[in-house]
Amino acid sequence: MSLKRINKELSDLGRDPPSSCSAGPVGDDLYHWQASIMGPPDSPYAGGVFFLSIHFPTDYPFKPPKIAFTTKIYHPNINSNGNICLDILKDQWSPALTISKVLLSICSLLTDANPDDPLVPEIAHIYKQDRSKYEATAKEWTKKYAV
Amino acid sequence: MPSIKINIKVVAAESLYKRDVFRLPDPFAVLTVNGGQTHSTTAAKKTLNPYWNELFSFTATEDSILVIQVFDQKKFKKKDQGFLGVVNVRLGDVIDMSAATNEETVTRDLKKSNDNLVVSGKLIFVISHGRRANGTVPAAATPRPVAAPVAENLQVPSESSATSPGDRQYSSFEDRQGRLPPGWERRTDNFGRTYYVDHNSRTTAWKRPVMDQSEAERGQARTSNTEAERRQHLGRTLPGESSTNTPASPASENVTLQSSGTGATPVVPAAAAALASSGSTTAGLGELPPGWEQRFTPEGRPYFVDHNTRTTTWVDPRRQQYIRTYGPNTTVQQQPVSQLGPLPSGWEMRLTNTARVYFVDHNTKTTTWDDPRLPSSLDQNVPQYKRDFRRKVIYFRSQPALRILPGQCHIKVRRNHIFEDSYQEIMRQTPEDLKKRLMIKFDGEEGLDYGGVSREYFFLLSHDMFNPFYCLFEYSSHDNYTLQINTNSGINPEHLNYFKFIGRVVGLGVFHRRFLDAFFVGALYKMMLHKKVVLQDMEGVDSEFYRSLKWILDNDITDVLDLTFSADDERFGEVLTVDLKAGGRDIEVTEENKREYVELITEWKISRRVDEQFRAFMDGFNELIPEELVNVFDERELELLIGGLAEIDVEDWKKHTDYRGYQETDQVIQWFWQCIKDWDSEQKARLLQFTTGTSRIPVNGFKDLQGSDGPRRFTIEKAGEPGQLPKSHTCFNRVDLPPYTDYETMKQKLTLAVEETVGFGQE
Repeated sequence: MSLKRINKELSDLGRDPPSSCSAGPVGDDLYHWQASIMGPPDSPYAGGVFFLSIHFPTDYPFKPPKIAFTTKIYHPNINSNGNICLDILKDQWSPALTISKVLLSICSLLTDANPDDPLVPEIAHIYKQDRSKYEATAKEWTKKYAV
Repeated sequence: MPSIKINIKVVAAESLYKRDVFRLPDPFAVLTVNGGQTHSTTAAKKTLNPYWNELFSFTATEDSILVIQVFDQKKFKKKDQGFLGVVNVRLGDVIDMSAATNEETVTRDLKKSNDNLVVSGKLIFVISHGRRANGTVPAAATPRPVAAPVAENLQVPSESSATSPGDRQYSSFEDRQGRLPPGWERRTDNFGRTYYVDHNSRTTAWKRPVMDQSEAERGQARTSNTEAERRQHLGRTLPGESSTNTPASPASENVTLQSSGTGATPVVPAAAAALASSGSTTAGLGELPPGWEQRFTPEGRPYFVDHNTRTTTWVDPRRQQYIRTYGPNTTVQQQPVSQLGPLPSGWEMRLTNTARVYFVDHNTKTTTWDDPRLPSSLDQNVPQYKRDFRRKVIYFRSQPALRILPGQCHIKVRRNHIFEDSYQEIMRQTPEDLKKRLMIKFDGEEGLDYGGVSREYFFLLSHDMFNPFYCLFEYSSHDNYTLQINTNSGINPEHLNYFKFIGRVVGLGVFHRRFLDAFFVGALYKMMLHKKVVLQDMEGVDSEFYRSLKWILDNDITDVLDLTFSADDERFGEVLTVDLKAGGRDIEVTEENKREYVELITEWKISRRVDEQFRAFMDGFNELIPEELVNVFDERELELLIGGLAEIDVEDWKKHTDYRGYQETDQVIQWFWQCIKDWDSEQKARLLQFTTGTSRIPVNGFKDLQGSDGPRRFTIEKAGEPGQLPKSHTCFNRVDLPPYTDYETMKQKLTLAVEETVGFGQE
């Protein structure tokens, strides 16, 4: 079940690649992928390339894939382990979602953070109180780790 | 190629093979280079995840072969007995020895030797040469970890370079907060939840152990937790049973409530219970014949129950030899009922308040005047079906098959080896022996078993045999305390014998009226009653899976999902395809047949996958408790029969409740709590089962209630129309309560919803 679906997603990605992201298996293991996202131009992450690791559970697509940033990023919804706080990766997951759709959602999370449901409360606090300081730090981290 | 000096540090091994069910090995490693130079580590004590961190020096070339073997020191003397695996490497393959200085951390799977003994796990070691002996292995610098380094310091930024994005990998003995205390290990279960294994005490915990706590303090915390659990366990009762250890008999207090609440109750339950358990009789006439019991109608008139034939009569059997009538009952049986045999499974006989016999079919929840063993006639004015747990328990206990047999059943165990010893003791006896009066003795402890010892025994044994450590049961993904059969239990080749044993213990507890301190997922109780598992049951087993299946039913799946009638089963990393029906992997799931698919995959995921284990469990259970007798209960009642009924603290419950769309001061909410306060313990437990999936309350009260995604307080949400029934979401411990406009409606709707066995009542 899962392997068939993962293969289908892989060929769909090849045929119709989404803009500004890419994804594919790391080695022979189709359950383990690597993805990259270009920092959206209208965000402090512009110019950076961010890598993510993707692990598909055996029950995929009944259960969400496990996705984490492997590139360090300064964001209220992404912690220092790279874990992402995104509802569609948790209780809002539906089997109709695909890796391509999830990556696009992560892209838009980079543009529009959700400081009201933060994973890193300190960053969320700065985001709300002093937006320019947040943007400066995010840019600095992007330059340091993602360029 | 010249020989140079190399250093090999054997750091640790992970997940070694467990050859004995009850003992852990004392593993040590033997290093050999080119078959000549040999060193060995000290033995780690009682662990499958030894941590040695010992450094050795050898002289070698890049063609040298390094062999590291792992043995169990306890068994090393026996030939080949203690072998736990071997790793062979050619040094040149893992490290570039031409560089001036170099260091490589190597992780390899342990391999079998020639005798093909099963091995498992990985070995971690560091090879280095040149000036530096160690460095990259985080644990290497400090053999005795002192302080937990802050996570940020460990995050090496350069690791996330574009070419090799790699997570910071922690061994299972450390995490972001630093090293775990000695003997502790971090693991992830198959639902992705992190838990901690304490190899010192062979226990598991969800909470990370704290470094600055001494072993003694941790032991103390463990003891006080067990003590709280023990108190909770001792406080559990069943209605209709007087408990020898609980000070107040709940039965006597509830007499008035019970008989006024149910119009059709001729039996005074407390008196009946007392009689049923003591077998006492009215003075002067001598003992009733075996299997007979005297009861009283609400009017106080005595009548007699013959449990052997399941009949009742006004006539005292001690006088029956002189009076040969059947009494004033209008529906006098024309033939002696004693020849009809027992009632069918799930049936119960009751009396109306005019002492007329009627029959209750718990399978269909209907009542009839007709004896199901006789040809039927039309039913008129039969009392309405009313679920009555207390009555069922009394009825159940009165069955001849549940009588304690003459003689004694001695079980002697060592407190520290309770699982192992109990297995030997309980499996060597026949089921008939186990039905004799239980006499439990803890080795080296004085004390006769008048109930207290066996209570303690079942408490301790249930903690040990359901310990996920043994891989027989695991915690469900719904919360952190309901148990389900571990699909991977086959790692222990003897597992089916153990399931049979556990089934026997559960049966033994029910038979001897002792409670287990263990709660299963709702689906398991249903399976025990041979009820079909349905999608709703998945919510308590795996809530993510449940949501996806529900999504499939609620949405058009055409061209969205690519499914066939098959499932993927992961067994130790290997993925197998299982057909859900004949040729299933070639049958597409479509919008038309998706219901069948959801039904089949639910069944597979919950029951078919663990069919073998479950059957072994039931074999053991049914040796003590006949299948047809337990069927009188529904799955929620069965949970209480096995685990007992706790007194629920409504104030604590209320204090740790969240509201969505309501406020605590709202009229409906006040009615809600009013209604709950008026309910008896069983109804309260049933509401908990309805909303949280189990009647178990965390040891420290409602503040620790868990949901499928971590702590989840009990929640009441404003949802639905006043004409509808309340609904529940057990994933989130939430009840959807419509804004009812008067108390009576609310009470009636809530009662109906809770009485329904499945979470969603009909609307």
